[in-house]
Amino acid sequence: MSGYLPLPPCSAPGFRHEALIYHGEGDFLARTASFIREGLAAGEPTLVVVSAAKIDRLQACLGDQAGGVRFLDMAEVGANPARIIPAWRHFVDEHREGTRRFRGIGEPISAARGAAELVECQRHESLLNAAFADGPEWWLLCPYDTETLPPEVVEEARRSHPLVALGTAHEHSATYHPAPGAGDRPLPDPTGEWMEVAFRQGPLAALRNFVSTQAVELGASAARAADLVQAMNEVAGNSLRHGGGEGVLRMWQEAGSVICEIRDGGHITDPLVDRRQPASDAHAPRGLWLANQLCDLVQVRSLPTTGTVVRLHVRLG
Amino acid sequence: MANLEDLERPHPVPDGATPVYDNGRLRVTRTLHPPTLSLTGEIDQWNARSVTRGLQAALEGEGDVHLDLSGVAFCDVDGIRALVTTAEGLSEGRRVVIHGLPAQLKKVIRLVGWDNHPALVIPA
Repeated sequence: MSGYLPLPPCSAPGFRHEALIYHGEGDFLARTASFIREGLAAGEPTLVVVSAAKIDRLQACLGDQAGGVRFLDMAEVGANPARIIPAWRHFVDEHREGTRRFRGIGEPISAARGAAELVECQRHESLLNAAFADGPEWWLLCPYDTETLPPEVVEEARRSHPLVALGTAHEHSATYHPAPGAGDRPLPDPTGEWMEVAFRQGPLAALRNFVSTQAVELGASAARAADLVQAMNEVAGNSLRHGGGEGVLRMWQEAGSVICEIRDGGHITDPLVDRRQPASDAHAPRGLWLANQLCDLVQVRSLPTTGTVVRLHVRLG
Repeated sequence: MANLEDLERPHPVPDGATPVYDNGRLRVTRTLHPPTLSLTGEIDQWNARSVTRGLQAALEGEGDVHLDLSGVAFCDVDGIRALVTTAEGLSEGRRVVIHGLPAQLKKVIRLVGWDNHPALVIPA
């Protein structure tokens, strides 16, 4: 297969975020290997974040050229999809002073993702546009497999990516929506029973005890319960400080995870606040960042009209 | 003056150690030999300011400030921030040296990026 066609002429240089719509593994290998070789030929640093199985195939396919590419396992980097942007940020910061453009391949979405994970992966794809909007010129290709993914997931990719690669053509997506989290829908209600407790200004010790006890009762190990308590404490602390001084906490078990949800009347204006690496300044915020490092999944939804809801997921076993 | 090896280990607070701060949920005591502040209980946004003040009051003198955190059952980001701002408030060349760091707290300090703070010495 020949190299990629040039970018449509009306596109501005900068961050090029493009969905690669492919069908099955053979198509994946042919087109991603071509993209990588094209970058290598131009001397562009390249980072590939896909599944371990795909890394193996790609390395075999690239042969000696694989040595010029950095690979990371998506299962490690992006088990919690909110940790993927910091990984790309690290790569971008590493190369922003260089004279060359650089490129990446990131496949966060596969059929193996659970329902809540998939939703957060889609939010991640949307947030990428804002995260690197004012950055240097680089090209991130996000593969979507039409063989294994439902059509609506591929449709959503067209909303989160300004460009779409189909076959050898590159198109502007007609349904692209640049607003961060444009595809967000209200979080679904718990499917089973939940426990609920209101909290207000005051020490959070009682709330920590409640969450710790419930997490263990719902099946979490002591260590994971401690992670959940730590994350919850930061989120509930934000409710007291920025969210109107009170909140409501709910806990339940769903799809093999313990979920702890905190609602308050505040509004988070920065949609990337939970995935910005803390600045060295001691007063820089760290609470939501920490929650994302401790939990398997963190769902943040915030609107000026309805307030903020944060769901912390910790997997059982 | 205690030797360095003694300082590397957490040490029990002897009865009669001077209380610096006590609100029922968190106690800070000071021992002179070895010169250490020991924190026992829980530190969160509710009492982090008091911790900062309690530590400031006890920071006169020279050399590193030794903190024994082996009795800390819970510490949130504000609590760690209190330790960091204390360390940053020390005069040139002085550091906060932490002893008896509980595993969960050690993990959290690393995850929020304070494990390499030049004025904070974390046990390996």
